[in-house]
Amino acid sequence: MGSITPDFRFGNLVGSIIQLVLVILAIVTVLILPMIFFALFFVPLPVVNGQVLTPYLFFSMVVDPSRTLPIVKFLMHTALFKAAIFPGFLFASLIAAATIFIERKLLAKMQLRVGPLYAGKVEGIFQLLADGLKLISKEIIVPSGADKPIFWLAPVMFVSTSAAVVSLIPVAYGWVVADLDVGLIAAFALLGFFPLIALLYSWASNSKYPFLGGLRALHQMIAFEIPFFLSALPVVILSGSLNLTEIARSQNIFWNIFVMPINAFVFYISSLAELERIPFDLPEAESEIVAGWLTETSGMIFGLIQLGSYLKLYALSALFVILFLGGWYGPQIFPHELIPGASSSNISLLKIIALDGLYNAVTVNSIFWFTIKTFGIILLMLITRGVNPRIRIDILLHTGWYKLIVLTFINLFVVLTLIYGGILGPGGIILPK
Amino acid sequence: MNTASGFIKALESGTKHLFIKRFTLRYPEQKLKFDGDGYQFDPKRGVGIAGLRGRHILFHDKCTGCQLCAIACEGIAEAIGMVKIDEHWKQNKKSIMPQIDYGKCVFCGLCVDACPFYALYMTNDYELSSFTKSSLIYTPSQLAVKPRYDGDVEIKIDSKGANHG
Amino acid sequence: MSNLEEKIDEAKKLSMQIVKDTEDDRLMTLSVGPQHPGSGHFRFVIKLDGDYIVNVDPDPGYVHRGHEKMCEYRNYFQNLPQLERPALHDSSNILYSYCLAVEDLVGIHVPRRGQFIRAIASELDRLVYTQYWLAIYGIFLGHSTMFMWPAGDRELIIDLFERFSGHRVTHCFSIPGGVRNDFPYNFKEKCLTQVNYFEKRLKEYEHIFYNNPLFRQRTEGVGILPKEDAIKLGVTGSVLRASGVPYDIRKVEPYDIYDEIDFKVQHMKTCDSFARSYIPYLDMVESCHIIRQLLDKMPESGDVRVKLQGNMKGPPGESFKRVESGRGALGYHIVSDGASRPYRVKISTPSFRNLIALSYLLVGSKLGDMPSIYWSLNYWPIEADR
Repeated sequence: MGSITPDFRFGNLVGSIIQLVLVILAIVTVLILPMIFFALFFVPLPVVNGQVLTPYLFFSMVVDPSRTLPIVKFLMHTALFKAAIFPGFLFASLIAAATIFIERKLLAKMQLRVGPLYAGKVEGIFQLLADGLKLISKEIIVPSGADKPIFWLAPVMFVSTSAAVVSLIPVAYGWVVADLDVGLIAAFALLGFFPLIALLYSWASNSKYPFLGGLRALHQMIAFEIPFFLSALPVVILSGSLNLTEIARSQNIFWNIFVMPINAFVFYISSLAELERIPFDLPEAESEIVAGWLTETSGMIFGLIQLGSYLKLYALSALFVILFLGGWYGPQIFPHELIPGASSSNISLLKIIALDGLYNAVTVNSIFWFTIKTFGIILLMLITRGVNPRIRIDILLHTGWYKLIVLTFINLFVVLTLIYGGILGPGGIILPK
Repeated sequence: MNTASGFIKALESGTKHLFIKRFTLRYPEQKLKFDGDGYQFDPKRGVGIAGLRGRHILFHDKCTGCQLCAIACEGIAEAIGMVKIDEHWKQNKKSIMPQIDYGKCVFCGLCVDACPFYALYMTNDYELSSFTKSSLIYTPSQLAVKPRYDGDVEIKIDSKGANHG
Repeated sequence: MSNLEEKIDEAKKLSMQIVKDTEDDRLMTLSVGPQHPGSGHFRFVIKLDGDYIVNVDPDPGYVHRGHEKMCEYRNYFQNLPQLERPALHDSSNILYSYCLAVEDLVGIHVPRRGQFIRAIASELDRLVYTQYWLAIYGIFLGHSTMFMWPAGDRELIIDLFERFSGHRVTHCFSIPGGVRNDFPYNFKEKCLTQVNYFEKRLKEYEHIFYNNPLFRQRTEGVGILPKEDAIKLGVTGSVLRASGVPYDIRKVEPYDIYDEIDFKVQHMKTCDSFARSYIPYLDMVESCHIIRQLLDKMPESGDVRVKLQGNMKGPPGESFKRVESGRGALGYHIVSDGASRPYRVKISTPSFRNLIALSYLLVGSKLGDMPSIYWSLNYWPIEADR
């Protein structure tokens, strides 16, 4: 029996909003402000320009126009900002959200339909938000006999490992969360965790279909790890270092893809297999094993795994860009100063609007080109999803263990020939600056 | 290189479709147009007249209460029942007319085929949903109301593909 | 001992071995049940040895609604809406066979224009059903584009159905005696435009699906049903034609006006899953040619129906008629004893007859081949269970 919805009254809406605001203010005053004071009592405050940054100094600096920008610049270079906002978690999450939106609309356009349309005024922009709210509000069903600690921890481990891979990616020179000297090997080592997590989670689900899916995930991801780092080997030989920033900087004359196109192709196929995307989405093959190792995920666990999966997509596309597509190099299209002549003038408001010490044309240019190239590779991965069916496990393993490794060796010999011929690499004719 | 050309052709076919118009009908902002007034039946010639089989329309000045529509529906869906009404018509001595339960009707139109007096037709109106089951039972006076339906979107096939309106 | 009997003996030995093995916990029992995205309203229990399927036990019956029994309580016209429900998308064909059987029983002859209209509806329904089948085949193999394109192009044909019959699916249009109403006045041009455009769209499927190397790798050489076994097992429809037997009821026992229409019976000799998935596509192209010929040859005007009384009494006797539906040979056997309700109606559906090939083909194949074999057998669970 359907019920008739009550009429909407604007007064009721305003009343409930005011009530919500008052409740929030009450909670903040009674609980949160004392906690802040308590924490400030124990936390040592940072030192800026020779003075301890107390809240009073902070507010006065913010209000004084000539001192705002150095504060912002200082905050932007702290480790917390880099890890959480840019180029870390928030930046990657925004790219992941944009990827999800573009994926749905691109696939819909290819399939001659509309995709999400009604959430948000313009062609369903807020669909992801609606989906996220829905997932948060769902009940998480734990199967009987499931291994509860691993069942709850595995999605969290998935997201954190993906975030760890994201933290190794340099977006511009100097903008990387973790600048390791062995960055490339660290990326591969982190990628080696994913089959383990998939297997643990599928075993903990205590059900047959996840079990089959977990075994398939294990076979698939392990089979494609070897072509993955074999295809990155000539890059390391050419640039002479494992540091991702150095690899990107060594491509300022020509991009690596012109020397090793086969390796780029192999890297692309291997990253599709690592990401479990169509045509390699056997572990989640819907028509054979319901949803593979993700069968028992529900609610926010599913949301976390999707988030981790798209973060990994961003990380591997960015890795492709850094290794083969020249990182962040591109023609300089951003002007040197936002408002010409602002840095030498005396009007402080003009300096703030022109983002005086903050705006670095080279960095902004790098970020722009990096994002464009990453989205280009993501677009390629999405279009591949639209035109291909799923592959079978024995064909997949045959491809991974035989064909791709042979292809990488071909390109390795080509690059070694070029290096010994004295054309490329350290001591060659074409030198990076 | 049969494999490579197969992949490239598939990619090309897929990307070609990114530039074709989308085919979806955006209901309820767009509604389909129908030719004609709905399914009708001519008992003299014994054939029907093509049209959409939607809600029925009952002409009170023609219905004689012969129950043939209810008898036809008895074996199919049992959706038509005869009820007594307040009106007095010359041709309807018993003053009974059909009432149709749209919770049970399968819209097959065999009741329209059974009526020999041109009294029961079907119309273009298909938006019959309601919040309660009891409001799906349409009384004879509700069935006499002419529907107002104004859809105007058709499938158009042009050089860029087919789309709705 | 022929090949088939040897195989049956081997299967019997294997099943004894399986009972022993499952007691040893070596095999895994997997229930691909009705609540599975890859099975429809149907369950089959498979026993897996690693990645290989060792035993299959199909379990139909989830959608048994007793259509044959219900026919005994309704007269010949009231049977129509409930008889078209087993094959929702293909309803013109499942009613076509019933109408032919009833007309044979009563002994009437349908006027010529009515026969043409019935044949056009039947061919259009064949297009609609095969598109739906292709869409599900795409999604079983993980190809979401191949799910949306046939589903979208099917709308072109369903729009035509809405124009002349009043419904999108389950038209209840062919009745004993002819058809219920004539075409609307501008139907022929619309039909030709949309069918021509539909045929152009069909060519795209070759690029993205049938010539896609990944699809070919998954279906070529998979689930081979040799010609002799296909004939012995009694499969029908596109499964039979994919094993090299050019058997189409429209050519073997032509009904209505199919003896005046010129078309090819498509068959392939490779007997594998790819052939079984390619033949319905070729049949669709043939159907487009047939529709154009029918529209050309149709008489401009004329009766479309012989008026029969609503509660007519069928003369005592029996009749059996077969029709080539979207899946294969669909036959009706009607026995009447003189009352206004049939005494017994037996529906012989192609899906139920093709079911036996499932257990034959799945044994020994990999788990990854299960969707491509299962769905290529053109099994529609609702029709098989009636």
